[in-house]
Amino acid sequence: MSAIISATHLTKRYGKQLAVDNASFEISAGRIVGLIGPNGSGKTTALKAILGLTPFEGDLKVLGFDPRTHRDELMQQVCFIADVAILPRWLRVAEAVDFVAGVHPKFDRAKALRYLANTKLKPSMKVKEMSKGMVVQLHLALVMAIDAKLLVLDEPTLGLDILYRKQFYQHLLEDYFDQNKTIVVTTHQVEEIEHILTDLMFIREGKIVLAATMDEVGVRFVEVMVATENADIARALKPIDERQVFGKSVMLFDGVPRENLDALGETRTPGIADIFVATMKGTYA
Amino acid sequence: MKTFTWLMKREFWEHKGAFFWTPVAIGSIMLLLTTVTLLAAVFGLSGGVQINGVEVGSLAEVVSASQKAEFATRLLFIYTGLLIPFAIALGFCAFFFCSGALYDERKDRSVLFWKSLPLSDSATVLSKVAMAIGVAPAIALAVATITAILTGLLTTLAAAIAGVNIFAEVLGNPATYLAPLQIAALLPIYALWALPTIGWLLMVSAWARNKPFLWAVGVPVMVGVLAGWASSAFRFELNLAWVWKNIIGRLLLSVLPGSWLGSRTHVLPGEAGNGSMDTLGAMVSQSWQQLAGANIWIGTALGAAMIYAAIRLRGWRDEG
Repeated sequence: MSAIISATHLTKRYGKQLAVDNASFEISAGRIVGLIGPNGSGKTTALKAILGLTPFEGDLKVLGFDPRTHRDELMQQVCFIADVAILPRWLRVAEAVDFVAGVHPKFDRAKALRYLANTKLKPSMKVKEMSKGMVVQLHLALVMAIDAKLLVLDEPTLGLDILYRKQFYQHLLEDYFDQNKTIVVTTHQVEEIEHILTDLMFIREGKIVLAATMDEVGVRFVEVMVATENADIARALKPIDERQVFGKSVMLFDGVPRENLDALGETRTPGIADIFVATMKGTYA
Repeated sequence: MKTFTWLMKREFWEHKGAFFWTPVAIGSIMLLLTTVTLLAAVFGLSGGVQINGVEVGSLAEVVSASQKAEFATRLLFIYTGLLIPFAIALGFCAFFFCSGALYDERKDRSVLFWKSLPLSDSATVLSKVAMAIGVAPAIALAVATITAILTGLLTTLAAAIAGVNIFAEVLGNPATYLAPLQIAALLPIYALWALPTIGWLLMVSAWARNKPFLWAVGVPVMVGVLAGWASSAFRFELNLAWVWKNIIGRLLLSVLPGSWLGSRTHVLPGEAGNGSMDTLGAMVSQSWQQLAGANIWIGTALGAAMIYAAIRLRGWRDEG
């Protein structure tokens, strides 16, 4: 598999503050990668570097281009939703479709209109008259109709209700994603994207602290509800997290084979949220 | 080229109010005023109305052929004078358009949407320049000309009702048809002349983190004031009037159409009392004579340099 994005020693400073700290990672084609991190961990900065929206140090290739110098070529094949509600307020639905159709060689107008037909959006509607959810629907209709190799989503569903959020990811998965496309997504609503991700990246204080496929994550991390008598044995295996539920200890292990843990109590595969919380412990301390 | 056309359309959609509805509103008000005035004159509600010194209404039978011809000629002064409100409005609209053009999109973060499309910074910025110095003046001129034609028709009609039929004189006068072309000939001069102000405003709007208008106006004015203070405090020879006119004025006021017709001009429209038929022609030739001077070309070069800086700044500016 060819790498769509490859970063080597990617560093970005804001004054003295390191936003991205010597990060190296690779993202292959046909993956859906979740870039997960606490507030201020450098997620958005990393995405900005990938999209050529900010200068940086180190080496970064996106689809073979350096985003600093070849942004114009890059944007023929890359699309992004940077945040909710960044569509200009004066723009009408019909104008938005016409404009993108006019300037983007890979835009499929029929597809956008088909998607819009399933919403309450009307051609004459202006962005400023729309609810937040409708703005995202419009943006998604535009983006999904673009046959881009890489789609970057930075908190695309922030502030939306659960109906819009579910719908958003459902459309993305069913009507957009295929083997030739790559999606990188950041969000705080980890649970909601868990089932669609193929890869997981955790970022903390500008560093990539975890980069693995979801299959690897399933093997690496095991949660055990440890019986009280086994607690000390279990602690000797160095769990990365421990909490109390109904008088029992629930421990999270990283890299301890499941066979070794089965004897200690009931095991299960933890959710990304649990792994995230354990990995990010002490971030705000 | 296709992309550029769409970028122009996009500017027009966003700024339809400033660049289309403003001239239309001005034209409508002028037509309304003309109509009211003429009605008053024709129906003798007022003592009589003068159009550039020739009275309509009370002179029915006693006008000679030469007077009719002069009347027809003077209608053209209406056209020239009628351009002034359009020109002032255009100057204001272009000024505010440019000082917000590359700032507002960062403020409401819509720049991220535009940057998510295959649109280069240079095409984007140049489309805004083209809007300010090309499309907007062309629209203003077109609306002004339509207003002038309608005003002229109404006036001629009113004169006819009053008994002075000058249709033949107006329509037979080559100057009638020449006038819009003469004004159109000023457009290239305006484009070049306005460039330093356009470039300066765009550059500041791409650079400023907040209050682009204050930066754009405040910096040149403060420089002027400080230069004045320094020259009086340290008694060195500095031609302050020159600085204000040729540096600060060019940075801030060159978007005003006709601002190149400096104080030496005696033929400004509206004060054409001496009845010289060639007023318009004189204005055009005087405008084109600017091309022989260094001022317009230095301004154009600096304007282009500042537009280039705006393009680079738009690429570098990191939206936090």
